[in-house]
Amino acid sequence: MKKLASATDPLWYKDAIIYELHVRAFADSNADGIGDFPGLLSRLDYLQDLGVTCIWLLPFFPSPQRDDGYDISNYVDVNPSYGTLNDFKQFLLAAHQRNMQVMIELVINHTSDQHPWFKAARLAPPGSPAREMYVWSSTNQLYQDARIIFTDTEISNWKWDETAKAYYWHRFFSHQPDLNFDNPAVIEEVLKAMRFWLDMGVDALRMDAIPYLAERDGTSCENLPETHAVVKTLRATIDAEYANRLILAEANQWPADVRPYFGDGDECHMAFHFPLMPRIYMALRQEDRLPITDIMAQTPAIPANCQWGLFLRNHDELTLEMVTDDERDYMYIAYSADPRMRVNVGIRRRLAPLVDNNRRRIELLNSLLLSFPGTPILYYGDEIGMGDNIYLGDRNGVRTPMQWNSDRNAGFSKCDPARLYLPLVMDPIYGYQAINVEAQVSDQSSLLHWTRNMIALRKLFQVFGRGTLSFLNPANRKILAYLRDLDRGDGTHETVLCVANLSRFAQPVALDMADRAGAEPVEMLGYVPFPTVTEAPYVLTLAPYSFLWLELQPSHAKPAS
Amino acid sequence: MATIYPVSETNVPSVHLEAELFVLLAAMPPEQLEAVLSHLAAAFPTESLLVASPDAFRPDSTPPLRMVTVPATNVSWTLNAADFVTAYQLAEKHKARAVLMLGAESSSLGSSALSDLAQAVMNPTTDLAVPSYQLPANAALVNSAILYPLTRGLFGSRARFPLAVDLGLSLRMSERLATAAHRFTAANQGDALLWPVNEATVAGFAINQFDVGTRNLPQPAGPDLNTILPMVVGSLFSDIDAKAAFWQRPRPLPPLRDPVPRSQAALLDGATDVAPMIQAFQLAYTNLYEIWSLVLPPNSLLGLKRLSVLDAAAFRMPDSLWARIVFDFLLAYRLRTINRGHLLGAMIPLYLAWVASHLNITASGTEPERHIEAVAAAFDADKSYLFSRWRWPDRFNP
Repeated sequence: MKKLASATDPLWYKDAIIYELHVRAFADSNADGIGDFPGLLSRLDYLQDLGVTCIWLLPFFPSPQRDDGYDISNYVDVNPSYGTLNDFKQFLLAAHQRNMQVMIELVINHTSDQHPWFKAARLAPPGSPAREMYVWSSTNQLYQDARIIFTDTEISNWKWDETAKAYYWHRFFSHQPDLNFDNPAVIEEVLKAMRFWLDMGVDALRMDAIPYLAERDGTSCENLPETHAVVKTLRATIDAEYANRLILAEANQWPADVRPYFGDGDECHMAFHFPLMPRIYMALRQEDRLPITDIMAQTPAIPANCQWGLFLRNHDELTLEMVTDDERDYMYIAYSADPRMRVNVGIRRRLAPLVDNNRRRIELLNSLLLSFPGTPILYYGDEIGMGDNIYLGDRNGVRTPMQWNSDRNAGFSKCDPARLYLPLVMDPIYGYQAINVEAQVSDQSSLLHWTRNMIALRKLFQVFGRGTLSFLNPANRKILAYLRDLDRGDGTHETVLCVANLSRFAQPVALDMADRAGAEPVEMLGYVPFPTVTEAPYVLTLAPYSFLWLELQPSHAKPAS
Repeated sequence: MATIYPVSETNVPSVHLEAELFVLLAAMPPEQLEAVLSHLAAAFPTESLLVASPDAFRPDSTPPLRMVTVPATNVSWTLNAADFVTAYQLAEKHKARAVLMLGAESSSLGSSALSDLAQAVMNPTTDLAVPSYQLPANAALVNSAILYPLTRGLFGSRARFPLAVDLGLSLRMSERLATAAHRFTAANQGDALLWPVNEATVAGFAINQFDVGTRNLPQPAGPDLNTILPMVVGSLFSDIDAKAAFWQRPRPLPPLRDPVPRSQAALLDGATDVAPMIQAFQLAYTNLYEIWSLVLPPNSLLGLKRLSVLDAAAFRMPDSLWARIVFDFLLAYRLRTINRGHLLGAMIPLYLAWVASHLNITASGTEPERHIEAVAAAFDADKSYLFSRWRWPDRFNP
């Protein structure tokens, strides 16, 4: 039976706080060294206390696990390592009971080569329905303009299959053959899988690797009209059959190329803003707001029912695909001194190590994440400043077990430590004895408390999720200042002035706020009234890496000093 | 009162069941029911009314009103979520323009009071009509100490009885309350309390208050403060938490109404011995200090220390101290600093201290209503304290 949506507001995702986690990495209930759904369920109260409103689960489907679950061998089941379908349903219900939505992965560009569809395709005669589920060719010279994404491991997007006596197309690892979206049967199968989870009550789908669904010779095989047609079909099905659901597009592209994935509000509800993320780090290191203001100037407007997804870090490398060559070189030098910190076209590090574990830098970056136009997405463990392990292969260094306490296995599992799916971070700075939830819960000054307070504060102001953005341009470029404004629709506005000091030293700034003269700024964290805005430049002094959020209230509403 | 169970309709003229005003009555003894029906018949043209009650009607003795019966619910001393769902369902079914909900013992309300509440919401300028009761000086003190000042301070409404047991509702107000109530009834919590003033304020609906004179307020079956205070205050705290994004915006208060002076009868309530309350507070100061120190900042704890050594005659709790205590308990409730049940239990001796202080102040000649207004003004004045604590609940504070 089809379950109703758990969210009542169709635009719920605009006000959401999304928390990305891997079931495998969060909590292990059966002491086998691998996280599972019962374990995750037992930690839902923690996420609720943190203020999370939507949980994004990395792939939890049956898989040979050669790409951390993105190589799926069955779309409609749960990997036995993580529990059963019933366990998932219990988790989903418990999340909904806590007013949290759940987002899962719809990895449809490719399957595992162990998927029954691919096993059948290899054996099926050319041109047969089973064979046509994938993209085959007798030559590896087609689609030569398509770039290789995993440059560290792949030398071609084609792989010869001895059984099929043909090449098959793969944009990612060679064990991940691409599905053939020119075949209507593929779309039907994808819709079946989608309905399976949505019927169960799942609220949101993250569409992995969305730009690569279709291929055409003589093109980059990215962002093709045929790909958009597939997305529109999926969206139309959702709109026709379900209420208050969400599609989030993973399209690691320039903003102008991502824009079409919103369509006219009839493709994806949300899309990640990939190019913003490295530029935030660049602006911080260069102590110059230009990288941020520049990419935001290139960011086109999106339909009213759409939203950007913002993040500082995720389960992949800090991708540097959407930067110029010079910018990429700078980022490598600035943020990955050790070559082991690099993978593919990016940097495989967590938030805290990236900024040398400097608490003020972490807070500053989070303040940008929480105040920029879009929905913030937190990566598990970053709320306590977890570290990484660059000696683990691929991107596993940022996928280590969640650090709950200082007990054995960081409270993640009761198994023999040797059984853990990945070793814990154990160095003296980021190791679980030093960085863990339990310690930070009892420390009122911890990063965890700070993050929780900031999330709660953001949730009080709808302007952050729904308002417009306009930059101020003070002469001091070490200061990033911007206004967020929301027309409440009743003749009033919710307006917030955000000012961030990107520098390691105190900075003065004079803001031209003449058009807001008469407004009464109130510092939002402490509800502290600031001097009234006048025609004269509004002068502020900011401590190193500090930020101010000032609500601009009409004069009659100013709080008592 | 009523529930959402299927309605059996009795004593209904065969013409039609549409009504201008739908009246939902609480369960009450037959003589009280007769009195209420008489008051209704006197206040409204009978053809415009449809009355629902959980009690059996006696066609021979009741006025010629169109009536339906509804099953009673467990909670009889106040309105609850199931009542609001029932009220809206029936009002909508019978195409009523407005709803009048009358609680237990509403027979003590006169025809003019009923008329005021109902006529207001028949008029499109008002969505919620709330009564202001003339009660004995020592009655409804949880309301005076916590519910009224907190609701007024945060939602900018001067409704003196936010948990009034009689309400006039426009149809859209009734619908909004039913929607809010549905969250509880769907979770099998039909006896949960709702906060109509807060709902109306958030919705931007117009609220009007009417002096309805004296009224016998129904009492809970077991009038045990240890049960009632946590239930009522916990419910209000939850509602405030859920509506934080609204009340965190500063809003001017509506114009001040002169407190209605109590009648002599209301004032002659007999002297109350405050000594047991003060002893309860002093005992708690020793036993519960550890819990209070998790909730209250040093300045408040210091204020309590000073209070704990006062003798009964001199016992006065500063209004500002009480306001901050309530604000800090509200914050601790939101943060789940300790188990919510234990938290609200730990608030009771502090409430008793406020009551003792209030009684001492009124015994020394201050009109009770003036003191209650002064307390509410303290809540208003210190609202920014709550705002800042709510936004940055660091324990390291003054």
